[in-house]
Amino acid sequence: VARFIVRRLLLLIPIMLGLTLLIFTFIHLIPGDPAATILGERATAESIARVRASLGLDLPLHEQYLNYMAGLLHGDFGRSFVTSRSVAADFLQRFPATIELSLAAMIFAIGAGIPLGVFTAKRRGGFLDQAGLITSLVGISIPIFFLGLLLKWIFAIQIPILPDSGRIDQASFLIPRVTNMMLIDTLLDRNLPAFIDAVRHLVLPALALGTIPLAIVMRITRASVLDVISEDYVRTARAKGMPGSIVDRRHVLRNALLPVVTVIGLEVGLLLGGAILTETVFTWGGVGRWIYEAVAGRDYQVIQSGVLLLALIFVVVNLIVDISYAFIDPRIRHT
Amino acid sequence: VTTSRWLVPFAVMALVVGACAGPVASPSATPTGTGPATTATPGPTGTQGGEPQQGGTFVFAGARLASQLDPIRTSDGESFRIFRQMYNRLVEIKLGTIGELDPALAESWDISDDGLTYVFHLRSGVKFQDGTDFNADAVVTNLNRWKNLPEEYQGDAEYYEAVFGGFGDASNMVSAEATDANTVTMKLNHADPQVIYGLTLPCFSIVSPAVLEATHADDPVNGTFTTTATQGGTGFFTLTEYTPDDSAVFVRNDSYWGDKAYLDRLIIRPIAQAPDRLAALQGGSIQGFDLVSPTDYETVAGDANMQLLERASYNTFYIGINPTAEANSALQNLDVRKALARATDRQSLLNTFYGGRGSVADTFIPPISEWYTTDGIEDLSFNLDAAKALLAGAGYSDTNKPTVHLWYPSGVTRPYMPDPKGISEAVTQMWENAGFDVVVDTAEWGSPYLGDGARASKFETFFLGWTGDWDDPANWWDQHFFVNSDGTPNPQFSFNPPGYVDLLRAAEQELDPTARKEAWAKVGAMVINQVGFITVVHGDTAVAVANNVHGYEPQATGTEPMAGVWLSQ
Repeated sequence: VARFIVRRLLLLIPIMLGLTLLIFTFIHLIPGDPAATILGERATAESIARVRASLGLDLPLHEQYLNYMAGLLHGDFGRSFVTSRSVAADFLQRFPATIELSLAAMIFAIGAGIPLGVFTAKRRGGFLDQAGLITSLVGISIPIFFLGLLLKWIFAIQIPILPDSGRIDQASFLIPRVTNMMLIDTLLDRNLPAFIDAVRHLVLPALALGTIPLAIVMRITRASVLDVISEDYVRTARAKGMPGSIVDRRHVLRNALLPVVTVIGLEVGLLLGGAILTETVFTWGGVGRWIYEAVAGRDYQVIQSGVLLLALIFVVVNLIVDISYAFIDPRIRHT
Repeated sequence: VTTSRWLVPFAVMALVVGACAGPVASPSATPTGTGPATTATPGPTGTQGGEPQQGGTFVFAGARLASQLDPIRTSDGESFRIFRQMYNRLVEIKLGTIGELDPALAESWDISDDGLTYVFHLRSGVKFQDGTDFNADAVVTNLNRWKNLPEEYQGDAEYYEAVFGGFGDASNMVSAEATDANTVTMKLNHADPQVIYGLTLPCFSIVSPAVLEATHADDPVNGTFTTTATQGGTGFFTLTEYTPDDSAVFVRNDSYWGDKAYLDRLIIRPIAQAPDRLAALQGGSIQGFDLVSPTDYETVAGDANMQLLERASYNTFYIGINPTAEANSALQNLDVRKALARATDRQSLLNTFYGGRGSVADTFIPPISEWYTTDGIEDLSFNLDAAKALLAGAGYSDTNKPTVHLWYPSGVTRPYMPDPKGISEAVTQMWENAGFDVVVDTAEWGSPYLGDGARASKFETFFLGWTGDWDDPANWWDQHFFVNSDGTPNPQFSFNPPGYVDLLRAAEQELDPTARKEAWAKVGAMVINQVGFITVVHGDTAVAVANNVHGYEPQATGTEPMAGVWLSQ
C-alpha cells in the first residue's frame, strides 16, 4: 500500500506541472489584457505600458511562466492583478461558499437520485420507468446556466417564493462570517430566521447544480439495481422466504450502491465546474463566480492560480478516493 | 465496507472545509443603532413619498465594485460610486448640475487672477472616521501624495495625470503648503481652468494621513491600503466590509460633519449583467440598480413595483473616422466623409437602440452643458438623397462604390453604446443604402480594440463614445482632437486640417469664459464640418429602484451620493 501511495504521489508532480503549463498557455491565448481592464477605456498607450510593466506583463511569456512557477514553489500563489489581493487568501475565503453549494447539490442528487433509481428499476419497462428515463435524459442534457435562469425566472420572479440570488437577505440579516458557510454561520449566530433564509437562498442554486448529478446517480442506481436483482444470491434469499424489504435493503441496495459511490466520487469535478456557471447565475459569492469575474477582467494571476487550486483539490480528492479503495479492495493496487 | 466507501467523498470534503474555515474575514457583526433623526435634508433628497424616514438597509447593485480602495488610483464610475459614499473632496459639483461648484471640505476658495495660485479655506471641526483631525496638513499630505505617487501606481492614476499633466517635476502642481491650520495654498506652473473642476472627481478624495501611513499606502510591496476596508474618510457612510466580487457594506457615519444619511446601512453589490440586475430587483434581493438596459426601460417603467430614474445625457456616442488608417481611403475626400454623415440616420438609431430616450447629437458636447453650441456647424443631418449626391459628386457610382471599413467592439456594452453589434448592423445598412460598400469587423474590447486598434490609427471608422468628467469644453474637444506640440495629431482621428492648430491653441489659452466658449465653438465647428467624426446620440442612462425607495436623485455626472436615500415601509 505504501508503494502504491508513493507512486501516486509522485505522479502528482508531472500532473500539476502539466496543468500549470496548460492553464498558463490557455489564459494567454484570450485576447485582451489586465492592464486595459484596470485602466478602462480612457487609458493612454503610455499608462497601459506602465501598468503592464509594473505587473511584469512586458516580459517574454516564458519568463512570466518561470516567475510564476518560482512563486508557486515558494507557496506563493501571487496577487490579483486587478485587486492586489492575495489569490490564496481570496480562494480560501470563497471556497467554503462553493463547498456549501456543492454539498447541498450533492445531498439533493443523492437523496433524490438513489430512491428514484431504485423506484424506476423495480418498475422496469413500466410507464413510470420510461418517464423517469426520459426525465433523467433531459436532466443530463440541460445546460446548467439555462436551468438556473429558468428556475430563477419561475420561482423567483413569476411565482416569487424563493430568492433570486445571493446567499442571504443582506437587508434583513447581518451575519458574522466565521466559517463563510452561511448555514453554519447562521446557526453559530443562533439566528433561526437567518438560517431559514439561508436555506431558502440555497434551494434554487442547489437544484440547478444538482440536477445533472441527480440524473446520473438515478441512471446508475437503476442499472445497478437491475443487475443485482437478477443475481443468484438475491433469488436464493427470496427463495428462503426472507421478507422483500429485507432482501432489498441487505442484498440488493448494499451491493447495487458500490458503483454509485464511485460515480459520486467523480462528480466532485463536475460540481466544481458546474459551480462556475451556477454561482454566476445566482451571484453566489464562491470560487466559481470569482474565477468567472477574473476571466472577464483578464486577471491572469487569479485565473491561473484559482484554476490550479481547484484542479489540485480535484486531484487530491481523487487520490484519496483511490487510496481508500486500495485499502478496501486489494485488486486496485495492482491495476 | 459499503458504509466506509460512502463516507469517503464527504470525509474529504469535510476535511477541506475544515481547512478553509480559518482565515475568513470577520466583518462587524451588528448593524449600527439608529441615531437621532435629522430634520435637515441631507444631500440630494426629494420628499416624494412623504416625510423622509430614518433607518433601514438599502441594497443597490452596480455592474461591479471598485477594484481596489485607493481613490487616486481609480478612474471608473463603479469605483467612484464607492468613494462618493465614504469620502469627501475639497470641492464638489453641485447636485443637479454638471458644472456648478459646491463647497465641501473647503468652505471657500480663491483663485488668483493669473490662475496660478489656489487658496482653500477649510472647514473646521471635521474628523476622519478613524478619529483623527481633518486639517490643512491632511490636505497637503494628500496633494503631495498624488503628485509624488510611486512609479508603479502612476499608470493607474489617470485623472491626476489628466488634470495636472504629469507626476513629480512634470506635474502642473508646483507646491502645496499649509498656510495655517485651516488654509492650504496650491501653486500651479501654468493656468488651467480645468483644475478646480478636476478636483471634484471622487479620485481626488481626501484620505486620513494616519490611515495612509498605517496601511503603508505607498509601499507597492507591503501596502494594504488598496485591499483593507478603511476608515480614512470623512463621508456620510463608513465602509465596514469590502469583498470586490461580493459586496461593499457601509454603515451611517453618525459623526458626519454635514447632514447625516437616513439609511442605517447601505450595501452595494456587483451584478455584471443588466438582465441579472433587473431579475434581482424583480425578485426583491436588491432595491435598486444602475445601468438599466435601454431595452428594459419599458419593463421597469411599466412595473408598479419599480421606478425608472433617468439621468440626463452627459455622454455622446460617435463613429470615429481616421482617413489615414488605410492606404487610399475614400474618406480622405471630405465629400465622402460628409456623405457618410448624411447617410447615418441618427434618430432611427436613437429610437431602436436607446429606447428613444436621449437626443440626436448635432455636436459633441451635450445640450445640458453650458458650453453646448451649434454655432458655425453645417447641417449634416440624415438625408439619403444628399448623401447619394455627395458620392456622385465625388465620382462614385453603383458600379464604383467607395469601400469603408467599420469596426465595433465585442464583449462589451457601454452607457453610450448599449448594443455595439446591433448598431453596427444598422449603420452598415444605412451606409450601404447610400451607396457605400461596407466591410464590418470587430475586435475584443480593451487593448485589442482601443490601444492596438483605434488609438493605434488602425481603424478607418469605429464606434466609441465619451462621458464628460466635468463641464469644460477642453474635456471634450481637446481630449479627442488634440495636436501635440510637435504637430502630430491624436492618432485616433489623425485630424489636423489647415488652420486647425491655430484655432485649437487660441481656445486652449483663453481664460475668459465668454471668449473661451466662442473659441471652442470654432474648434468644434471645424471638427464637425470637416467630419473628423460623426456624433450620433446623447443617450440617457437610467437607474431602477423599488417603489419604497425615495430621495435617489440621478446625476448626469453618473454616480450618486446616497445620503438622501430613504426607505418607506
